[in-house]
Amino acid sequence: MGSREEIFEKLRRNTREVHEYPDLSPLEREALVHEDKIAAFAESLRAAGGKAVSAPEGEEDVRAFIARTIHEEYPEAHTVVSATGELPGVPAAAPETFASPSDLDGTDVAVVRGRLGVAENGAVWIDECGRHRALLFIAEALVIVLDRNAVVDNMHQAYAALEEAEAPSFGTFISGPSKTADIEQALVFGAHGARSIVVVLV
Amino acid sequence: MSNRHSIAAAEFLKDGAHAQWHDETLWMVRQKRDRMSRSLPEWESLRDAACALKMYSNSHLAELLEEFESKATANGAVVHWAKDAREYREIVLSILESHGVKLLVKSKSMLAEECGLNPFLEQNGIETVESDLGERIVQLMHVKPSHIVLPAVHIRREEIGRLFEKEMGTEPGNCDPTYLTHAARKNLRQIFKRAGAAMTGANFAVASTGEIVVCTNEGNADICTSLHKLQIAGFGLEKLVPDRRSLGVFTRLLARSGTGQPVTTYTTHYARPQEGGEFHIIIVDNGRSDILAQKGHEKTLNCLRCGACMNTCPVYRRSGGYSYTYFIPGPIGINLSMLRDPLKYYDNVAACSLCMSCSNVCPAKVDLGEQIYLWRQTLDSIGKADRTKKFVSDALKDVMERPALFNGALKLAPALNVAPRPLVYARVNPWGRGREMPRFASESFNSMWKKGKIK
Amino acid sequence: MKIGLFIPCYVNAVYPQVGVASYKLLRHFGLDVEYPLNQTCCGQPMANAGFESSARSLADEMDEKFAGFDYVVGPSASCAVFIKDHYPTLLKDKPHRCLNEDKVYDICGFIHDIVKPESLNASFPHKVSIHNSCHGVRLLGLSSPSERNVPYYSKLRDLLSLVMDIEIVEPERPDECCGFGGMFSIEEDAVSVAMGRSKVMRHIATGAEYITGADSSCLMHQDGIIRREHLPIKTIHIVEILAQGL
Repeated sequence: MGSREEIFEKLRRNTREVHEYPDLSPLEREALVHEDKIAAFAESLRAAGGKAVSAPEGEEDVRAFIARTIHEEYPEAHTVVSATGELPGVPAAAPETFASPSDLDGTDVAVVRGRLGVAENGAVWIDECGRHRALLFIAEALVIVLDRNAVVDNMHQAYAALEEAEAPSFGTFISGPSKTADIEQALVFGAHGARSIVVVLV
Repeated sequence: MSNRHSIAAAEFLKDGAHAQWHDETLWMVRQKRDRMSRSLPEWESLRDAACALKMYSNSHLAELLEEFESKATANGAVVHWAKDAREYREIVLSILESHGVKLLVKSKSMLAEECGLNPFLEQNGIETVESDLGERIVQLMHVKPSHIVLPAVHIRREEIGRLFEKEMGTEPGNCDPTYLTHAARKNLRQIFKRAGAAMTGANFAVASTGEIVVCTNEGNADICTSLHKLQIAGFGLEKLVPDRRSLGVFTRLLARSGTGQPVTTYTTHYARPQEGGEFHIIIVDNGRSDILAQKGHEKTLNCLRCGACMNTCPVYRRSGGYSYTYFIPGPIGINLSMLRDPLKYYDNVAACSLCMSCSNVCPAKVDLGEQIYLWRQTLDSIGKADRTKKFVSDALKDVMERPALFNGALKLAPALNVAPRPLVYARVNPWGRGREMPRFASESFNSMWKKGKIK
Repeated sequence: MKIGLFIPCYVNAVYPQVGVASYKLLRHFGLDVEYPLNQTCCGQPMANAGFESSARSLADEMDEKFAGFDYVVGPSASCAVFIKDHYPTLLKDKPHRCLNEDKVYDICGFIHDIVKPESLNASFPHKVSIHNSCHGVRLLGLSSPSERNVPYYSKLRDLLSLVMDIEIVEPERPDECCGFGGMFSIEEDAVSVAMGRSKVMRHIATGAEYITGADSSCLMHQDGIIRREHLPIKTIHIVEILAQGL
């Protein structure tokens, strides 16, 4: 008997009382919601060490606004790389430009599109990462572009929205900059990933 | 009357200032957790849901694992099964060897610690570098983690400053946490780039999608796994959760309970190998399937490894992680150690005042304190009951079973109040080491009642 | 309503005045109180130390002694809840049980939930710091556990609030364990004393003159530290305050 079969045999033999899948809907219904989801998202993100910037109402040239925001937030940035290359003049993190993901080390600002924001914790779900997902984690700063209508209240709603997604590949919720408190519980940003995060709400 | 825990704890407490700092540091984390839990009116319902979901998944492990395996395989991952620590280590080694990997970067995994992975890989010529800052600190110091979420919580910044000066060439005397963290970032990034493969544990494995989910604050797992085409994830089979919907519950509890954050900075889902790469998933039993059959202890499989029970435990905070004989300390460690090998780890069950704070703080409602009580009842039958304690207990029983004897003792007891101090406070009296003895009443309640003095 | 007064062993030996105050207080409420003679111990010390078998005969004895009472009431939250939570298992093979666990109360819970007095004649012109004992809080529900997200309540505070001239405070870390824990206090004496010290210090930091609570065992442990280190605070069981003037 191989280990797999042995494990399954033991699991079946040892399982005593069987419990049913609980009804989660009452909890999901009573879960925390926010009167102003955008404001709550911005506040949660701030608490997590990040920053939300909103494009003005009726801003038509979204790309120009993003470019302006990057320039304003990171005036010293030399290397700006985007995940999918949709910004003019900003290279994509693709093998044609960066043979290995390690070559992205030194990127000052990474720009990526988020799919979903979560008001209760400031997290943004990102699953369009281009060909080198390392960009999200290796850049010194991360700029996430997020549709302001894509902010949900809490993680129940977030996963409900993602449950409908097609075949899974890679995705991540990112809430604020990389951080650690491993030295005497003192909070430090920029442990390994981005030292700062700006979410541009468009 | 002592045991390996109490002896180590007494040693830990000798450095009063350090012990107080340790207690206060962890209490601060407990307070952060309290603030988070109070920010959600539905907190107790969330805990109920997490417990119910775990009770569901842990009683459907066979079918959920089959579902996970088929989904993960369809996603392009390779699924391996390890019935014990040896198989797990060997699977990891064979994957690494077949790819000629000489340097592995690893993110924190309690399973790897449980199975002794790092020393095994090192013995087989594979350099293994921990990527989590706290884990890296304890690795460089050649010590074990003293806490499952905050591995270096017992170490002062000055020590880390000296360590980094030696290992990373930081400025002598500079022990600023920001400075040291960024020095480690720079140092480790070069190692991450040089490595040949990345390995993680998993916080959750989702049956309905075949994904694994890894939660970190530093982004270390994420950067390592994204830089390399060879990715390995190994986890205990109780990490299975049914679906993404259940993650809505667990992700809301995990970081709030563990570190007092609304969510970890990174909650990353891995389903497929990177383009042109390989993704190996190792599902490990190593005794977990036996826990299912341990009446009264099944709920230990609910554990999310958040560490909240350690932060709240008044004994853990005042005795430190190393006072326990198992690699996982605190309330959950006491229980897991007894499930692992009672004859080896029985000392730990003494490290509990049965205050039950752990059971109330646990996000998945593991009945930690209640289970420690149950373990205590088994020690005598395995020959590991403390002899003095047993003697005291037997003597108490003998007296208490005989009211006349008890009443006689009550009459004599006040003599102890005036007995010579050296006699009463002899070394064999552990009560008297830090406390005065209770003063026995000149007349007991029984006697007063009989004499009609109570009206 | 017939009340069986339960006096735990160490109250009998060390704090008989707590037993006396309990009796007087219950009588003051016009209750029919009886003290079944020759009580010894409920068995908790042995069971918590891992020797439940040594507690069984005592449980049996208690079960017999308290047959026929409407309520069993004692001045110790920890002992009361031990009976409630563990006697059903300890005595599971006993064919005819005499004692119904639902009728076992710690005296504070009993007065608060069953007697529900609106006033007391007691006056206690002192500042007291409430000792929320672990088993009182987390097993008996005498107050809201700090770990849980439930509205604050404290039956001890409610009762103390009926006392005139009293000032009531609670320490920081209001329900952290004082480190008694039965035989834990001697097997793990270093940790036990460290826990007790910090608990006493937090009570002192409130400026209170007295530590008061529903468990004499916790108070006994803290009192041992107070006297050893000559600390400026005293301990008093809550019924001694509630029974002032009786």
